[in-house]
Amino acid sequence: MKKFVNDPKSFVPEMLEGIALANPGTLRYVPAYNLIMRADAPSADKVSIVQGSGSGHEPAHVMAVGRGMLDAACPGDVFAAPPMDYVYETAKLLSSPQGVLLLVNNYTGDRMAFDMGREMAEADGVRCEILTINDDVAVQDSLYTVGRRGVAGNFFVIKTVGAASEQGAGMDELLRIGRHVNDVTRTMGVALTACTPPAKGSPLFELGAEEMEFGVGIHGEPGRERRPLASADAIVDDLLDAIVPDLPYRSGDRVALMINGLGGTPVSELYLLYRQAHRRLADRGITIGRSYVNEYCTSLDMAGASITLVRLDDEIETLLAAPAEAAIRVF
Amino acid sequence: MSITETELVVRTIAETAIANERYFGDLDSVVGDGDFGYSLARGFERLLDGWEDLDRSSDGAFLKRTGMVLASRIGGTSGPIWGTAFLRAGGAAEKGVVAMLRAAAEGIKARGQSDVGDKTLLDALVPLTDRLETELAGGATAAEAIRAAAGTAREAAGATVGMVAKRGRASYTGERSRGSADAGAVAVAVLAESVSETWQSRGVAS
Repeated sequence: MKKFVNDPKSFVPEMLEGIALANPGTLRYVPAYNLIMRADAPSADKVSIVQGSGSGHEPAHVMAVGRGMLDAACPGDVFAAPPMDYVYETAKLLSSPQGVLLLVNNYTGDRMAFDMGREMAEADGVRCEILTINDDVAVQDSLYTVGRRGVAGNFFVIKTVGAASEQGAGMDELLRIGRHVNDVTRTMGVALTACTPPAKGSPLFELGAEEMEFGVGIHGEPGRERRPLASADAIVDDLLDAIVPDLPYRSGDRVALMINGLGGTPVSELYLLYRQAHRRLADRGITIGRSYVNEYCTSLDMAGASITLVRLDDEIETLLAAPAEAAIRVF
Repeated sequence: MSITETELVVRTIAETAIANERYFGDLDSVVGDGDFGYSLARGFERLLDGWEDLDRSSDGAFLKRTGMVLASRIGGTSGPIWGTAFLRAGGAAEKGVVAMLRAAAEGIKARGQSDVGDKTLLDALVPLTDRLETELAGGATAAEAIRAAAGTAREAAGATVGMVAKRGRASYTGERSRGSADAGAVAVAVLAESVSETWQSRGVAS
C-alpha cells in the first residue's frame, strides 16, 4: 500500500501541524502534548470539551475542534491511546472555572489513560468529568474493550455537548445531555478491506477478495463474523437488522441517519448505502430528521462504512442544528 | 504521620523496589510478561531523580506528587495502579495511616477492576492493612504494629501460590497461574518488611 509519508514516527505530529497551519487564528497546536486546541480556549464562561483517542480515525477528533464542537483534542499515536501525562497536561491547559469534560470512547487503554489523567488533574484542583461513549452494537466485548466500543456515534455526542457548552450549559447539564445522546445512538460497521498503519506498511489483517468483516471495529479488530461479499443493498439491510432492534427504533420515531466512510471508500458508494438505508427506515415508519453522509470516524484507509442512528427529540435536534465551525466543515 | 516519616517510608519503598528489580522481574516472568521489576524500578528511580523538588507542603501533597511521577513513568498497567495507590493515599493523609492504606486499596480495586481473591497485590495489601489496624487498636506501638503487619503480608503473599489469577497479565494463563506466588503481592510483602526494618532501627513511636 503506497502512502504519503515521511518518517512514520513523525506521521501524527506532521498531520497536527498541517491542521494548525490550515486553520490560522482559530486552532493552536501544542507539540509537547500532541494537542490541537481552539486558539481562544479555555474560556472562563464555558466548560472545556476535550476528546482524545488513538490517531488514525480522522476527522475524529483533531478535525472536530472549533466553535460549537471540541475545545481540544488530545490524540495518541496511530491506534494507541494518548499517554496519561498528555491527558493530564491537556486538562490543566484547558482548565476553566466551569470544569473540563473529557469525552472518551470505550476502549480499555483510553479509559485507563483518561481516568488516570483526570485523577492527576483533580489532585491539582482541576474539576474534571468523564463521559464514556459506547454506541457500537456489533460485539459486547472486543480485543480492545470491556463492553461496547465507541465508534462514529461519538460525533453526535461531540456536536450536542459542544453546542450546549457554547450556549453556557454547566457541567451537570452537559453530562445529562451527553449521556442521553449516547443512550439513543447506535452504530454498526462493515469492512471490505483491512487498513495499513503508516509505521507497519502492510495491512493489519487479511480479507479475501470475496469476503467482508461484518460488525468490524474502527481498528480493524474482528466484528461478528466473516461473510461472503454481498450487494450494497443487502449489506445495508443486514446492518439495519442489527441496529434497529437494539435500541429499538420504532415506527413513528424521528432519527438522524449517518453513513460514515471508514477511510477508503468513495463518497459515491456511501450515497448508495444512504439511499437504501433511507428507504428501509421509511418502510419501518421511521422518519429521517437529519442526514450525514461523509467520513467522520475512520480506520485509516479501510474500505468500508458504518451506519449510525440517533433517536431525535426536540433538544437533540436543536443542538445538532446549532452553528459550528471545525477543520472539517461538515456540521 | 509527619512529612519526615512519610518521606522516610516512600524513600524506603523506592530504594527497595530498585534493589529488587531482578527478583520482582523473575517472579513476574513465571506467568506474567516479566516487565514488572523493570517498570517499577524505572518509576522509582525517576522519583528519586526528582526527590528534592517534590512538593513537601503536606503529607498529602507529597504522596500525590509521588503518585503522579509513578503513574507517568511506569509503563503498562503497573503505572496507573501504583500511581493510583499513592494518589489515593495522599487524598486520605489527614485521616491516618490505616485510612491511607484503605484508600490506596480502594483505588487499586477501581483502577484495575479487581478485588481481593483475584491473585493481585491486593491479596497482600488488604490483610496487611487489617492487621495494622488491629494492632494499633490494641495499643501496639507503631514499630510493633508495622512488624506484625509485614509478617501478615508475607503470609498472605505466600497464600497466593494456591490461587488462580483473575486479573492482570497472569490471568491469561488461567490454571497455569496456580503454583507460583503473585509478583505484586510478594512485592508488597518485601516492601512492608523493608519499611518495618527501617522503623525498628528508628525506635520512634508515632
